[in-house]
Amino acid sequence: MIREPSSAAGLPGEIFGSGTPTFLTTKIDFVVNWSRRNSLWPMPFGTACCAIEMMAAAASNQDLARFGMERMAFSPRQADVLICAGRVPYKLAPVLRRIWDQMPQPKWCVSMGACASSGGVFDVYSMVQGIDTIIPVDVYVPGCPPRPEGLIYGLMMIQEKIRGESLSNHPELRREAPEEAGRPRASAAEVTALSGPFGNSTRQEQSGGVATNLGLSSKGPVSL
Amino acid sequence: MSELVRSPGVGPASVEHPAIIPLRERFGDAVIRHEIVAGDEHVVFVDPAAILKILQWLKESPDQRYDFLSDVTAVDYGGGRPIQVVYQLFSMPHCRALRVKAELPLSQLEIDSVVPLWDTANWLEREVYDMFGISFRGHPDPRRILMPEDYGEGHPLRKDFPLRGRFSRAEQTRQALAGAPEDHLPVESGTGGEPRIVPWQEIHAAAQVPADESDD
Repeated sequence: MIREPSSAAGLPGEIFGSGTPTFLTTKIDFVVNWSRRNSLWPMPFGTACCAIEMMAAAASNQDLARFGMERMAFSPRQADVLICAGRVPYKLAPVLRRIWDQMPQPKWCVSMGACASSGGVFDVYSMVQGIDTIIPVDVYVPGCPPRPEGLIYGLMMIQEKIRGESLSNHPELRREAPEEAGRPRASAAEVTALSGPFGNSTRQEQSGGVATNLGLSSKGPVSL
Repeated sequence: MSELVRSPGVGPASVEHPAIIPLRERFGDAVIRHEIVAGDEHVVFVDPAAILKILQWLKESPDQRYDFLSDVTAVDYGGGRPIQVVYQLFSMPHCRALRVKAELPLSQLEIDSVVPLWDTANWLEREVYDMFGISFRGHPDPRRILMPEDYGEGHPLRKDFPLRGRFSRAEQTRQALAGAPEDHLPVESGTGGEPRIVPWQEIHAAAQVPADESDD
């Protein structure tokens, strides 16, 4: 059926009937937040088995695109949400921090799974004990690995968080801090407090080894 | 009834491994002892000083021809006992396996590199150096391979290495972020000049084995 041209006023009045206004009033916060939360582009930082579940969440069965995660952004410059899925060794920590620094504001971060959130079972010499010591995290998704539904729920929590933001506090909330680029998010005391009580079953202290040929003190942990 | 067919190197018939007697005859006291573990796995303990000669003979002797080095690794049993360097050999022509071990006292963790015999030993020996601190004499590229090159806490698979590392978590985090990601890119070394980041195209080109150099 060919639509007839609209009436003499020149306004497309078919939906609400002729004579209805073609604008609506709203709050700018609402419009900005509505558009932001429905077009979040995730930056996948998948390092382990959690990444398989992240892929499942993006694939057709779970279809993350329903929530506006239309496309995985494999460039941090075009991403809004960093999804860190998997364990992060210390050797990878500067890479993760660099990617976070390269993402433009506004940006959010999801820590997916036990290893990214706390180091998981890997309470060992090579592993970052929670990526929140490196970068700020908005949502932690528990699980080992979490189901795709868990990741989608975490991303919906990000959407809820965006709903509560306002442009009036935007400058301090979404401040770019170049002087903090490349630095740990948590202070030394915070890292110690986070990693101390979660000693694994071996209860092995950092100073337990015999530092013979290293010239290191074996009397206690190296303090800062 | 025909004789029970066994796969090569399996079963009671293999108590005498075809490499053991010739090894003893040729190298005498450098062959320290011979063990059979896990049923049918033959292990020869040899003098670390003679490791290069023995492995070269095992590779090149027509009756042995252990031309495939499956693995180089090491074992630390702790308690001040010597660290064992393990060479897992396989002979493609004869379809036989042999494990050669050399025991190094903790005071002298040094052994000859076997990179001249098998190119694959390059990365395997780098890993043994990284994890156990054993240095390989004559290795063309003696650097760490898994841990960061400026890793300062020691060699993690040694029994005297604490599970969570020597430094506090705060110090480990600080050190990890003190470096830039580029620090971990492959760096050319051993040329005498300034270290240079190797473009990935060159790494790819180096991985191509020329047709005329393929072994046998």
